Amino acid sequence: MGREGITSVIVNHLKLLVGGVQLRDGVVTVSDILGRIFTRAGLHVLAMERGYASTIYGAHQYDPIVVAEEPPVSWGDPEIDILVALDYDSNPDAKEQPNRDTILRHSKYLKDGGLLVYDSSTGDIATDALERRGIKIFPIPARNIARDELKRDVVKNVVTVGALFRLLEFDRDATHLRALLEERFLRKGREIVELNLRAAQRGLEVVESVLKAKSWTDAGYRLEPRPTKGPMLLLSGNDALSIAAIRAGCRFYAGYPITPASAILEFMEEHLPKFGGRAMQGQNERESIRAAIGAAITGVRSMVGTSGPGLSLKVEEFGVSGMSEVPMVIVDTQRAGPSTGMPTKSEQGDLFLVAYGGHGEIPRIVLAPATQEECYTLMIEAHHLADKYQCPVFFLTDLNLSEGRKVVPESFFGQQAVRIDRSTLVRESDLRRDGSYKRFALTPSGISPRLVPGTVGGVIKVTGSEHDERGFVSTDPAIRKAMMEKRARKMEVYLNEDAKPPQVFGKPEGKPVLVGWGSTRPLLQEAQQRLRARGVETAVVHFTHLWPFHTAAAKPLLEKASAVIAVEQNFSGQFADVIQTYCLIPVRRIVKYNGLPIYPSDVVGGVEQILRSGAQHVRVGVEAPAPVKVSEGD
Amino acid sequence: MAEVKPQKVSAKVWDENAVARHRIQWCPGCGDFGVLAALKMALTKLEITPYEVLMVGGIGCSGQIRNYLNGNAFHGTHGGALAYALGAKMANPQLKVITLAGDGDTFAIGVENFVHICRRDPEVALVIMDNGVYGLTKGQHSPTHGRGMDIKEWSEESPPPFSPLRLALTAGATFVAQSFSGDPKHAADIYVEALQHKGFAMVNDFSPCVTYNKFNTYDWYKAHVEEIPAGHNPGDPNAAWELLNDFDRRGRLPLGVIYRNPRQKKAHTRLPMWPEELQETDVRPLLEMFR
Repeated sequence: MGREGITSVIVNHLKLLVGGVQLRDGVVTVSDILGRIFTRAGLHVLAMERGYASTIYGAHQYDPIVVAEEPPVSWGDPEIDILVALDYDSNPDAKEQPNRDTILRHSKYLKDGGLLVYDSSTGDIATDALERRGIKIFPIPARNIARDELKRDVVKNVVTVGALFRLLEFDRDATHLRALLEERFLRKGREIVELNLRAAQRGLEVVESVLKAKSWTDAGYRLEPRPTKGPMLLLSGNDALSIAAIRAGCRFYAGYPITPASAILEFMEEHLPKFGGRAMQGQNERESIRAAIGAAITGVRSMVGTSGPGLSLKVEEFGVSGMSEVPMVIVDTQRAGPSTGMPTKSEQGDLFLVAYGGHGEIPRIVLAPATQEECYTLMIEAHHLADKYQCPVFFLTDLNLSEGRKVVPESFFGQQAVRIDRSTLVRESDLRRDGSYKRFALTPSGISPRLVPGTVGGVIKVTGSEHDERGFVSTDPAIRKAMMEKRARKMEVYLNEDAKPPQVFGKPEGKPVLVGWGSTRPLLQEAQQRLRARGVETAVVHFTHLWPFHTAAAKPLLEKASAVIAVEQNFSGQFADVIQTYCLIPVRRIVKYNGLPIYPSDVVGGVEQILRSGAQHVRVGVEAPAPVKVSEGD
Repeated sequence: MAEVKPQKVSAKVWDENAVARHRIQWCPGCGDFGVLAALKMALTKLEITPYEVLMVGGIGCSGQIRNYLNGNAFHGTHGGALAYALGAKMANPQLKVITLAGDGDTFAIGVENFVHICRRDPEVALVIMDNGVYGLTKGQHSPTHGRGMDIKEWSEESPPPFSPLRLALTAGATFVAQSFSGDPKHAADIYVEALQHKGFAMVNDFSPCVTYNKFNTYDWYKAHVEEIPAGHNPGDPNAAWELLNDFDRRGRLPLGVIYRNPRQKKAHTRLPMWPEELQETDVRPLLEMFR
C-alpha cells in the first residue's frame, strides 16, 4: 500500500482519471504513455474500466488508472486522486462550454485534497467550489503550447504528460520518457523525439510556475520507481488470451469485427501466421464459426471470438460442434445487451446463452477467467478441454477484463507448464486398417478416438444429424438413446477429472458467502476486506468453471453459509439461478447493470442491506442500494 | 502425417464406407443418382483416393450424397456447407474438398457464403444439385424455381428465378460451369475439370426432382440444354457474359465450362496440429511487446 512521506505526501498509491473528447484529445495516448512508463518503473498499474463510446469521434471518453506499489486488490471505488481533463473548447466564445465534460462528470469523485489538471488553452474555468474542497488546480494550456510554440498540435498530450510527471515528481531526468519516445519515434527522426521532450519540459515548467505562484512545495502525491525481478508487462485480457491460444496450439482463428472482441482478431491476423497459423476475418459471424469448425474437422486447434450480438448469430453452430463432436473454443467478450445494447459497456449477461443456448441438448463447457493471468492459464486449459471432450468450450470474459490492462510479471508466463495433449486423435500409424474404425464408437467415457480426414486407411462420416457409431444418419430409438448418453457421459467424466472447484477465500461455515464468477473476483476480495474492517466476516466463493455446474464441489461449501449472496453484473442474477437449481439453496443477489463496473462499496452496501433487512435481491448502481421486493412474502 | 499420394483406385472403392445402394433414400429417377454416378466417374478418373476426399454436404436430399459414396464427409447447418469447406481447405490444402449441396442451400439460406467463397477462391469444388424446389420439405419453391415458365405476373411471394451462373460471374468466381445429371458422362467430364481447377469451381448441375418439380423434368431439360460451342473461350470474361446473353436470348441452357480463369494465389501448407509441431511454441516475442 502507499507510504506517507514526511511532508504527508502520498507515495505510490493513487487513482488517476484521464478524460477528454474521443479521438480528438488523445485520452488513450496519455493513458497508454502513463501506463507503459509506470509499468517500466516497477509500479503496479490497473486500468480495468474503459470509458469509451460506440462512436469514432466526439463522445466523452475516460480511462481510470490505479497506480500502486503493490498489486492492487481491485479497481476500487469511483473516487479519484487526480483528474486529468484534456478537453478544450473549440469555440471559446460560445455561451455553452460543452467540452468541459471531464470536469463536469468526474470532479464530484475527486477526493478532497486531490488534483485537477486541465487544458486551459481556451481560458481558465471557475473552480472555486473545488478549491474549497482543498483540490489543487493546475491549468495547463497544453494545446496552445503545442500549436503556437512548438508548431505541432499532436504534442499536446506530451505537454500534459510532462506536467503530470512534474506533479508526481516522477522521471525528473526524463529517462523513461526519452526511452519510450525513441522507441516510437526515432525511425521518424531524432527531431521528433526532441520536439516531444521539449513539449514535456514545457508542461513541467507550467506546473512549476503554478506551484511557485501558489507557494505549494509539492502536489501531495509522488510516484517512486520500484525495483522488480525481471520485466513487467502491461497487457489486456484479450492480449493474454490471444497469446495463450497460440501457446496452446490454436492455429486457426476466425472473427468478425465486433466490440470488444475485435482486438483478438487483429492480434491473431498479425501474429498467428508467424506460428504457421491462419486468421481470417469472416464475412459475417456465421462464416467465422463455420470456417473454424471446418478447420477443426481437419484436426487443427481452432477458435472464434465474438461478443453477445455475434454469439447470438453463432448459436446454430453450438449444436453442430456438440453433435458432430468437433472441438471448438468460443470466446465471448461479454458486453451489455440485449440486442445491440451498450456496445462499449461491460456486463455478465450471456451466461444463459452459453449454458443453454441452442435447440436440443449438447455437452458443453463454460469457463470464465477472473483476471488477465487467468485469461492466459484458462485459455490453455480451454483448448485442452475442447480437444479432450470434442465439444464447444465457451470462454467468457467481459469488456473490462478483455480490454482492461494490468501489470503482470513476464516471468508468470514462463512458469506455466504447457503440455499439448492430442491423445484423443488417431494417428495413421495407430489405425487398424481392417475397416473397424468407428468415429463415434460407444466408449465408457463417451470420448471416441478421433480420426481426421487425410489419414490413409480410414474415412470419417461426421454429421450434426443423429447418427450411429460410424456417423451414418439414424433415428433408431436404441441408437439415439445410446448416442445421447454417450455425449452426456463426457460431461460426467469432465466433472470428475477436469472441472475445478470454486476458489474459496475465508471460511464459509456460518457466514455470509459472496459468490462470484468471471472478472468480479478482485472486487469481491476487496469488499470482503472492507466488510471485515467493519466487523462483518464473510467468505468469497468464486467460480471459473461454470458449466456443467460442479454441484458436488459447490453444494457442500454453500450449504454451510448463513446466507449465499451472488454478486453479478447482470439484471437477474443468472448464476444465482444456476446455483439455486443445482444446489437447492436459496441464493440472494446483488446485481448491477448500469454499464459501470461493480465497485467494492456497492458490494459492502448490498451485503449490509441484506444482513439488515433480509433483502433477497439488491440492485446497485443508483445513489443508494435499492432493495427490490421480489414477492409479497419477502 | 505423411502426404497423401494418389494411388490407382478401382471404381468399386467408392462403394465402400457408404450406405448400401438399396438403402439410398432418393426417389426412383431422382437426378441426384446421375450426380452420384458422375462424381464417382470423375474421382475414379482422377485417381483420387477416398482418404484424401472431404465432402461437405448441404441440408436436403442432395446433401445425403456424401454418405452414398466412400470418402470423408461432413454435414452441418443449412447454408453452411461452403463455409465449413473453406475452413477445412484453408487448414489442410492436401485435402480434396468437394461441396455437394442444393439450390436452396446454396442460393437462399447460404447465399452469403456462396458470394464470398467466389471472392475467396479456395480450391474447393461445388456441385449444386439444382432442381428448383426444396424436395425434402415437400416441394416449396427455391430461388431457381420458375425456370422457363411463362409467368405473366410475378409477386414478392413468388419472384422470378435468378441465374446461378450470373451470380457466380458477378461475385468473381474463377470457374463457372453447368452440367445435367441426365447426361452423367458429360457431367463427369465437367466435374473432372472442376476438381482440377486451382481455385473455387462452381458447377450448377440440373438435377430434376421427379416428385416435386413437374415442370423442369428430364424431358424439359433435354429440350432446353445445349452444349457450349467448341469455339468458346472460357478464359475471356466478356465471352462468358456474351455466351450467357446469347443462350438466354434463345431460351437455351448452356452445358459446359462457361468461365475459367485461375487467379494467382499464395501457397499454403497444412496448419500445424500435432504435439511435435506445437509443443515448443515460443511466445516470448509476443510477450515482450507488452513491456
